[in-house]
Amino acid sequence: MGSNDHKNLDNEDKQKIDQKTNKENQVLHTYDGIGELDHSLPAWWINGFYLNIIFALGYFFYYIMGDGPSLLKEYQKEKNEYEYAQALKKDSSKGASEEELRAFLKEPSRIQAGLQIFQTRCVVCHGAQGQGGIGPNLTDDYWIHGGKMTEILAVVVNGVPEKGMAPWGGILKLDEIYSVVTFIKSLRGTHPPNPKEPQGLLVKE
Amino acid sequence: MSLESSESSKDQPLKPQLENFSYDDAIVKKFLIMTLVWGAVALLVGVVIAVQLADWRFNFGLPWITFGRLRPLHTNAAIFAFAGNAIFAGIYYSTQRLLKTRMASDLLSQIHFWGWQAIIVAAALTLPLGYTVGKEYAELELPIKLAITVVWVVFAVNYFKTLLQRRERHIYVAIWFYIATIITVALLHVINSINLPVSFWKSYPVYAGVQDALVQWWYGHNAVAFFLTTPFLGLMYYFLPKAAGLPVYSYRLSIVHFWSLVFIYIWAGPHHLLYSTLPEWAQTLGMIFSVMLWAPSWGGMVNGLLTLRGAWHRVRTEPILKFFVAGLTFYGMATFEGPLLSVKSVSAIAHYTDWIIAHVHGGTLGWNGFLIFAMIYWLVPKLWKTELYSVKLAHVHFWTAFLGTLIYTVSMWTAGITQGLMWRAVDPSGHLVYPDFIETVIKIIPLYFLRAIGGFLYLGSFFLMLYNIVKTIAKAPKTKAPDVVSAYRLTPVALSNLSQLGDRPHRILEGLPAVFSVLTLIAVIVGTVIELIPVFLGNQHVAASSSLKPYTGLELHGRDIYVREGCYVCHSQMIRPILSETMRYGEYSREQESIYDHPFQWGSKRIGPDLARLGGKYPDLWHYRHMLDPREVTPGSLMPAYPWLYRDKTDFRAIPKKLKVMKSLGVPYTEMDLAQAEADALSHAKKIADRLISQGVPATVQNQEIIALIAYLQRLGEDFKKGLIQ
Repeated sequence: MGSNDHKNLDNEDKQKIDQKTNKENQVLHTYDGIGELDHSLPAWWINGFYLNIIFALGYFFYYIMGDGPSLLKEYQKEKNEYEYAQALKKDSSKGASEEELRAFLKEPSRIQAGLQIFQTRCVVCHGAQGQGGIGPNLTDDYWIHGGKMTEILAVVVNGVPEKGMAPWGGILKLDEIYSVVTFIKSLRGTHPPNPKEPQGLLVKE
Repeated sequence: MSLESSESSKDQPLKPQLENFSYDDAIVKKFLIMTLVWGAVALLVGVVIAVQLADWRFNFGLPWITFGRLRPLHTNAAIFAFAGNAIFAGIYYSTQRLLKTRMASDLLSQIHFWGWQAIIVAAALTLPLGYTVGKEYAELELPIKLAITVVWVVFAVNYFKTLLQRRERHIYVAIWFYIATIITVALLHVINSINLPVSFWKSYPVYAGVQDALVQWWYGHNAVAFFLTTPFLGLMYYFLPKAAGLPVYSYRLSIVHFWSLVFIYIWAGPHHLLYSTLPEWAQTLGMIFSVMLWAPSWGGMVNGLLTLRGAWHRVRTEPILKFFVAGLTFYGMATFEGPLLSVKSVSAIAHYTDWIIAHVHGGTLGWNGFLIFAMIYWLVPKLWKTELYSVKLAHVHFWTAFLGTLIYTVSMWTAGITQGLMWRAVDPSGHLVYPDFIETVIKIIPLYFLRAIGGFLYLGSFFLMLYNIVKTIAKAPKTKAPDVVSAYRLTPVALSNLSQLGDRPHRILEGLPAVFSVLTLIAVIVGTVIELIPVFLGNQHVAASSSLKPYTGLELHGRDIYVREGCYVCHSQMIRPILSETMRYGEYSREQESIYDHPFQWGSKRIGPDLARLGGKYPDLWHYRHMLDPREVTPGSLMPAYPWLYRDKTDFRAIPKKLKVMKSLGVPYTEMDLAQAEADALSHAKKIADRLISQGVPATVQNQEIIALIAYLQRLGEDFKKGLIQ
């Protein structure tokens, strides 16, 4: 078997290979009728093994014994670059003023956009109509952290982690947060059914 | 004991004598039948949990069949019951013939068989009941762990006694792999099972945090290596050349790939812990040894496939060869994918995702399954002295199983890579594109359906085989008398005359199984010692210098509920130092954060989000509602509901004992903590309950288990937030 694989080779090579294959096709040992041949290791296989060993040694010496950066160092570098880039962005866009936010209340499209976000992010705690639940009622005139739109903006951006209010600054874009703050403000005086009892201080407008 | 030698041999020990004996094939039949039974169970449970992930309603609100409890049952059944029984069937059949002797003791074989089945039944009862240690593939509680140890020792004693009374001078490569399996599984199981009991069905591992993680994945990875790889290579080396009627391609290749595989595999465990708080040198060793493992793994595939040179045309007509060729090819795929996944930057995307699930099932369904099927189709007609009932049905089995495996792996690759990329997607403004974890889950649910279809096909194909085998056995002749075989007794070789055993050093070694076994043991101990010992020594100071307060009694009790419900199956507690990950979950995890965690709960898969910094993120009421109906607070969630946590009462009286055991494991509880454990837990529970009651929760909540679970969840990551850890 095997030797007819080499038909196309010229005679001298063929002879050499035949000698080799004959030797390799001799059954060395037999166990329960299973013969064992003694082919040499496939070159691609053993060389692939050597290459992997060389890679492994190189990797170990560079990253562990040598100057290769650790995972934490690489992370720190990536994080610093990110924070630097974010700081640059922040500087060029300061938060909107109370007047600018109030002006948004006249834009039905923005209130609509705020409603959409409110429905996916806020209703779990504040209720489908802002009547409150896990979190406070947003339709009455009582506010725990202040009722100005800039104050609501600050709460949405930074959250109140100790009370379970999530900081949305890292998740929503600033413009989306403006919309949701506008929507919240638009809820004032809507008197939904089953309101949560007032919390915080009465804010008169 | 079962020698039927006609003449006494004591008088002339040096003269070769022909001895008559018979093989114990009854034990092979027993293991083989149980392979079929447990295979059906393992695959069925697999399909059930696949469907549960596609649609949460299939958890049915019943504790015993929730995903978190059934998934360990699936993995344990597939590995230790299905593959385990198949391995034993193949080992008992081939070893006796390769050594030309009956097993040394029929009694030990019987104890092995019945003991193993009893262990499986115990596992199938205790895991759904929630008795678990909480470490993957090592979930079984202490009494069962002890039973496993005993049964394994029985198996080993029987095996090595058989080796000693062999009538074949040299041991064949299949036997080398069996020896490596028996020795290493014992080592792995014992070292990873050192637990201290709290009660009969509850124990805590003596290791904690990073040390527990390292021991666990040294064990876990090598369960794959020495339970799902080495024994199967041994089976391949016997049953493939037998079925093909062809000689094994290369003896030399067998030697090189056996020793390199056994030596290198044991180091690879830490690739499960890349980017974790395991010291980076150990992570790197795990990675580079995995890379080096590629060629030794492929050595087995190459030797198997090249054995079939000149017989390829037969693959078309013989289902057994089909299964062997496809099985070896899946083995080649999985062992190429493994090193790839171990590269740190690939792991960064793939870890915690379904890519790993695809990888594992390519190996188990494709390699282990197909090899078992090939072996069964070859063995059953031999054992029952008949022909296979239907070759055609076996072909249908092959193609259905093949299609099922492809659908399974392709859907999970797609799900894994999709989700992995979604987790790390950051938009130009510097925000996560998918800040809500649930978005990344909803996206891949169609693929979970597809995976269930793949699994269902595989299960269906298994039943085709079952039918085929039952029909085959039914038509078998009813002869009972075993075949009598004869072989010459071995004459002892003097140590001074070892060259009689062979001309090459390895050939001599093959004549000395005891020496061979010791060398194998050394090969697996080297990597073990070099990786484990420094992590154990270098870590002592962390606990000693820590000012961290251990869990309160109620938190510890809640943690046990977390473990009992298998929360770690779907949630990690290990935030990797990767920017998109710290943006999502908060600061990366620190080593000290898990020093009191017996066992560690870092997890290995994120079907849900990481929980390492969950504490304080949501109010208690959020958790209360979430566990009752996850979809109320997270629309689209696939998490099961846990209504029984609102029915079952917290066993406050059990808490002092838990603290006491933890204290003896080195957790710094004071005498006062122990004395007041129950009272403290009660008042802690009351505090949480009062808060919830004031928000409208029914007043009966105080004694419910949900309170303990909330206490634990609210503690996660708190030490870091308070600045106690830098």
